[in-house]
Amino acid sequence: MLRSRIIPCLLVRDKGLVKTVNFKNPKYVGDPINAVKIFNEKLVDELIVLDIDASRDKREPDYKMIENLAAECRMPFCYGGGIKTVEQAVRISNLGVEKVALSSAAIETPELISHIAAAIGRQSVVVVFDVRKTLFGNYEAYLFNGSKKVKGDLLALAKHAEHLGAGEIVVNSIDNDGKMAGYDEKLIRLVRDAIDIPLTVLGGAGSLNDIKKVIQEHKVIGAAAGSLFVFKGVYKAVLINYPSIAEKKALNTLTN
Amino acid sequence: MLRVKVCSNCVMDTSDSKIQFDENGVCDHCNTFYNDIKPHWHADEKGLAAITKIADDIKREGRGKEFDCIIGMSGGIDSSYLTYLAKEKLGLRPLVFHVDAGWNSQIAVNNIEKIVDKLGLDLYTEVIDWEEMKDLQLAFFKSGVSHIDSPQDHAFFATMYKFAEKHKVDYILTGGNYSTECVRNPLEWMYYQSDSRQLRDIHKKFGTRPLKNYPVTNILWHKIVLPYLKGIKLIRPLDFMPYQKEQATQFLVDNFGYQRYAQKHFESRFTKFYESYWLPNKFGYDTRKVQFSSLILTGQMTRDEALEKLNAPAYDEEQIAHEFEYIATKLDISVAELQGYMGAPNKTYRDYKNQQSIYEVGAKVMRVFGLEKGGKR
Amino acid sequence: MIAIIDYGLGNISAFANIYKRLNVPFIIARTPDDLRQASKIILPGVGAFDYAMQRLDDSGMRSSLDELVLECKIPVLGVCVGMQMMATSSDEGVKLGLNWIKGVVKKIDATKLAHKPTTPHMGWNQVSPKKDADIFAGIDDEQGFYFLHSYYFTCANDDDILAVSEYAGHFSCAVHRDNIYGFQFHPEKSLLNGVCLLKNFANL
Repeated sequence: MLRSRIIPCLLVRDKGLVKTVNFKNPKYVGDPINAVKIFNEKLVDELIVLDIDASRDKREPDYKMIENLAAECRMPFCYGGGIKTVEQAVRISNLGVEKVALSSAAIETPELISHIAAAIGRQSVVVVFDVRKTLFGNYEAYLFNGSKKVKGDLLALAKHAEHLGAGEIVVNSIDNDGKMAGYDEKLIRLVRDAIDIPLTVLGGAGSLNDIKKVIQEHKVIGAAAGSLFVFKGVYKAVLINYPSIAEKKALNTLTN
Repeated sequence: MLRVKVCSNCVMDTSDSKIQFDENGVCDHCNTFYNDIKPHWHADEKGLAAITKIADDIKREGRGKEFDCIIGMSGGIDSSYLTYLAKEKLGLRPLVFHVDAGWNSQIAVNNIEKIVDKLGLDLYTEVIDWEEMKDLQLAFFKSGVSHIDSPQDHAFFATMYKFAEKHKVDYILTGGNYSTECVRNPLEWMYYQSDSRQLRDIHKKFGTRPLKNYPVTNILWHKIVLPYLKGIKLIRPLDFMPYQKEQATQFLVDNFGYQRYAQKHFESRFTKFYESYWLPNKFGYDTRKVQFSSLILTGQMTRDEALEKLNAPAYDEEQIAHEFEYIATKLDISVAELQGYMGAPNKTYRDYKNQQSIYEVGAKVMRVFGLEKGGKR
Repeated sequence: MIAIIDYGLGNISAFANIYKRLNVPFIIARTPDDLRQASKIILPGVGAFDYAMQRLDDSGMRSSLDELVLECKIPVLGVCVGMQMMATSSDEGVKLGLNWIKGVVKKIDATKLAHKPTTPHMGWNQVSPKKDADIFAGIDDEQGFYFLHSYYFTCANDDDILAVSEYAGHFSCAVHRDNIYGFQFHPEKSLLNGVCLLKNFANL
């Protein structure tokens, strides 16, 4: 039976790994290569690495870093950050990356989704939405680390991305980011209802129980987390961790 | 070619160029142990009474604070077992302190997690700025000296001391012990990692970026100012209680889900590469001789067992090319460049500025006052 | 020498890195000359069927491949679209496949799924071998392999089915005839199971 994917999500800034809270106050977490190597040895289902400044700084992706990280992954690797053209996506794909994630480019030039899907297959195209709740309890998408609001209904944007050829949607809650107080379950339900393709959720996971809840409700889903797999304890000590095979099995065991 | 002469008692040999043998062929490492260390080393009721008293002091002085001491934890057997003893046998409330220099192995990370979780302790991690660390490590490679692991070791101690000072923690517990470390690496093999003059000189000559975030300490600071002026004490509890490496390891495996390493210090991927491959192949220094000799002197290994193990290289011959490549990739250099450093002329600490004279004076003083037994030479 | 075909699609580096760490000699094959050294062949692939067939034709290696596989009986392992290309044809496109193993590639029928998501079939799933095969020796059945596809292979002959998996019904996730192996999942991205399978292939 197809299992839910439990996915560490790492953020890169200035060549180093960082963790944020509400997309602010990045805390230095260390060297990406060693972190990825450890996650690989911990047999994670899949890995996401996002360069959070590439688009905002109008920078090319760091191809050397991507290649080095891909070389350490014996499981699927999704890279996002600064991808604006088909050539970049193909180049990154050829470095050994299974999926490329688009964020600002998917909003600014949505046809890019179709073009990249045509070149490397829709299963390899991921669209990431960074989302904030409005005063009225609705949700809106933001670009460039939560600094620029996107006009338009979030769910319509997600449906459109699916229609254009995305193979997976990642929805990232800025409000819950780094808080480790649980996923935004309402947001997840809304997006899950709106689209049919695989959905991965990110932002807020504070315990394996948060992951269990979201799997129980949605049966098959991608449960991504940053802080949970990188920090430990009240002092937020940096220590890479991931559920054991037995723990993962328990998380995936549906009780109804 | 000079024939290698091996001690008749342990397995240290003339690859330690300063080694001296007595009329029975027993080396000075062994004699230092028998004469200076063993008579004063009490891992019995006397030792237990002494450490219990220290533990009482720690508890009393730590009352009302979130934790009463910090334990330097690498995920290796010494610091892991120490953490268990500190909490379960001595009743202390330690903060487990880990320094991440960018080279943690998965086993180390797993072991730290298991120990901390099972004992219900708090963990604090200091992550060293990797870009600075990388530059400093490369500087050491370029310098040609043998102690290229100094950046990691130096950062470890500097960070712990800085933390203790900042948070007014009076007691630092470390896993250093006579049981597995009574024979020390000769200075010629591994010069003092705390010598900041050496570190700064090598960095100045070969580094390419300033050391802004990297923690620098110095010997006077942490051997004199911190203990005598600020009252921060460094304790080695494993010296006060029976500590047998294999028994301790099996205990942690059985009760904590601890994973074994192939050799001492292999918690760090870099140290593993350095001690198993770089040091023996570039300089002819095999740290296993030091480690096994310690175990021989403390009755945990026979000389024959040690000689047998020393017949094979310390590294995995099938994997070493991949390890070499990983080290190069992580340091952002080509395999050819790393090989270049391997083949470059060997230098010593004397080729760069150092504070060795201070260490020598200090060591003499410590020995006169009975504050330190043995010690590096 | 294992030849990993580089015709522009598929995670060549992943296969290369695995064989490198296993100390198994390999070559990245870009021309018929490169293929001449092959004692075994890996045919990777991602993306759409027609596009992949076109790229393979354009690579200039197509006829050498046919000869090596069908006449010289060199063992070949096709992955994902690489496996699908071995079929007679695919509903995804109009081009003909390599026809190494008779069958048609069909689209996953999402209406058969009990709940979302629909396609692609994305994630770790279990694999049940239908016949005894050395290639699956040492595999952890519970862990399974990683899948990422929207189409699946249907064999004309049941004898060619090597393993099945379940997603919107049972489907052939591995096919085998003589020297030809095809896997729908990604062994190059399936952690220890994948490394084990690729090692088994090298040792055949």
